[in-house]
Amino acid sequence: MKRLLAMAGATALLLGLSGAAMAQGKTITLGAAVQLTGSLANTGRYYRDAYQLAIDAINAKGGVKVKGESYKLALDLLDNESDVNLGVRQYVQLVTRDKVNFLLGPFNSNDALDDSSVAEKYEVPMVEGGGASGQIFARGYKYIFGTLPPADEYYRSTVEMLGKLDPKVRTVALVAADDSFDVSVAKGTRKLLEKAGLKVVVDEQYRENSGDFSSILSLIKSRQPDAILWSGHEPEALNFIRQAKSLNANPKYFYSFTVGVPTADFRTALGKDADYAFGMTPWLPSERLTDEWFGNAAAFATLYRQKYGYDPDYHAASAVADVETFVKAIEAAGTLDPKTVRDAIAKVDFHCLYAHVKYAANGQIDLPQTVIQIQDGKLVAIYAESLINKPLYPIPPWDKRG
Amino acid sequence: MLFAQILVNGVLLGGLYGLMALGMALVWGVLNIVNLAHGALIMLGGYAVYFLFTGAGIDPFAALPIAMAGMFCVGYLLQRFLLNLIVRSALLNTLLITFGLDVVLTYLAQLAFSADFRTINPSYAGANFTLGGITVPLARLAAFAVALLLAGLVWLLLNRTRLGRAIRATAQNLVAARLYGVDPRQLYAITFGIGAALAGAAGGLYGVVAQITPYIGTSLTAKSFVIAIIGGLDNPLSVVLGGLVIGIAESAGSLYLGPTFTDVISFGLLVLILVARPARSLRTA
Repeated sequence: MKRLLAMAGATALLLGLSGAAMAQGKTITLGAAVQLTGSLANTGRYYRDAYQLAIDAINAKGGVKVKGESYKLALDLLDNESDVNLGVRQYVQLVTRDKVNFLLGPFNSNDALDDSSVAEKYEVPMVEGGGASGQIFARGYKYIFGTLPPADEYYRSTVEMLGKLDPKVRTVALVAADDSFDVSVAKGTRKLLEKAGLKVVVDEQYRENSGDFSSILSLIKSRQPDAILWSGHEPEALNFIRQAKSLNANPKYFYSFTVGVPTADFRTALGKDADYAFGMTPWLPSERLTDEWFGNAAAFATLYRQKYGYDPDYHAASAVADVETFVKAIEAAGTLDPKTVRDAIAKVDFHCLYAHVKYAANGQIDLPQTVIQIQDGKLVAIYAESLINKPLYPIPPWDKRG
Repeated sequence: MLFAQILVNGVLLGGLYGLMALGMALVWGVLNIVNLAHGALIMLGGYAVYFLFTGAGIDPFAALPIAMAGMFCVGYLLQRFLLNLIVRSALLNTLLITFGLDVVLTYLAQLAFSADFRTINPSYAGANFTLGGITVPLARLAAFAVALLLAGLVWLLLNRTRLGRAIRATAQNLVAARLYGVDPRQLYAITFGIGAALAGAAGGLYGVVAQITPYIGTSLTAKSFVIAIIGGLDNPLSVVLGGLVIGIAESAGSLYLGPTFTDVISFGLLVLILVARPARSLRTA
């Protein structure tokens, strides 16, 4: 009898506990598989940290209101080890086993391209801030939304600016890697260059992670283009610049890189050799970008730096916009039903620390790139529709630099 | 002119490749261990030189011997206390344990050093000179010279010293070597230590011409593997030659076939050589 009582007591206690957990458990779980280790870990950390920071900030201000009830956000984050196939399995696991409510994206177009198929198959909306390739949004999928500007438009502002600089650029070397993002960039850039009447004299695709550019650089040296437009990921950008210096391979006036230039790591790794490099970013931590939860982008950048010890770049801001998209959409939908929330995401229209967030019919945001340049170790905004600061142009050749 | 430049690029790249493969070929030939953690050892050597350069301000080339000494100790201890457990067992066991070692070293490196990109960037890293219209990068030339020097030293060690004779004897006939008083456990540890030291030197030079992250190891292991097979396992100078073949093939191939084909070229060469020289590959592998 005593034992029975004890058991009944224990059961009651358990029930009580789980009841408490249920009451407390008004949570909305966002799931993501991000590169925490492996070759892309250095950029993957922006997503890990920004997702968490955004969720903490939103919870601190009362969470998400669904029909008058307040829900807390929670993050279910897995490490895809920079492995696309593992990432896909993990997203399936997030949806089927962990039963997360909604999905946030990974870093990198190759990953987003494959992972978004999981979202589409299980009809769970995914908002991703790490994949820019047009391929992701060209398949008629309904459950994928992206907050990076389209890859084929990355060089639009740069080509526009080149038309206004003197001496005029007439010939261009286009160098791009063979992954999804860079193939999109190269395709779009070729069109932009053609429209602007610039001649492509070198058009080379390189193997991602091959690390050796000496052949391409020798080719560039022999063809002497006015400008080099380069596309790839950060480690390769470092290799390209260092090898360009050691081979004294120069464009006549100008070179620019799609990725790397805005990150602090790029400048510390290269030191003085980072100077003069042009690049682009859809985001700079400006006070003009106001935000419901962080105040503004500058305040966000300060908070981020304090908490994680390194500066955020556009990857982090884009990740915050993804989380905020869900909050806006869920509150507008008034339900957690994935289909209704999906339709609400398609209609969101708000300003945040990242940008004016509004998705086109294909699911991708439209956002102009600001041209930037590293001048004396500092990141300087150069051009967005008009010149902002004076560019250091033409770029001096390697053997003429102090 | 462009072709001459490509040839020079390839030769300089190949020298470094050769040095990377040298340690792997030595360990493979003597211990019959295909060391899948070889790239991870190169990575550790790179970090050692990086920290000696940025932390203590020692010139990277002067830091090489220090890093090599450190890596020798790491290699010696690894062999003595870990790899000696499996040294004469099935090939699969050695693959498994060195693969595990690679994973452990890589993740420890990310914990300790973070995934940030590090470059060893002395003032002369980008220096070059022009000879008859061909640009020669100084750092790559120096790396090439160091690679040749170390290959020569290893050759001298193996062929002209008592230790080298013992190493070769053990590789050829373990029983006979033991009868003549060689202690294989000690000898294996020293050989693996030398292999690790060579990897360390390659890592330091790699950091001067490229950049170091905890994840560079895997692709360097693959490259070293190909070169070790092409060069053969018994002569350090032929390993460097194998490196040169791959270096030239890659830089010429990436110009004339397209840079996306570099891996196809090196692994394609490997297949060709395995087909064309089956007897030799069987004997040495």
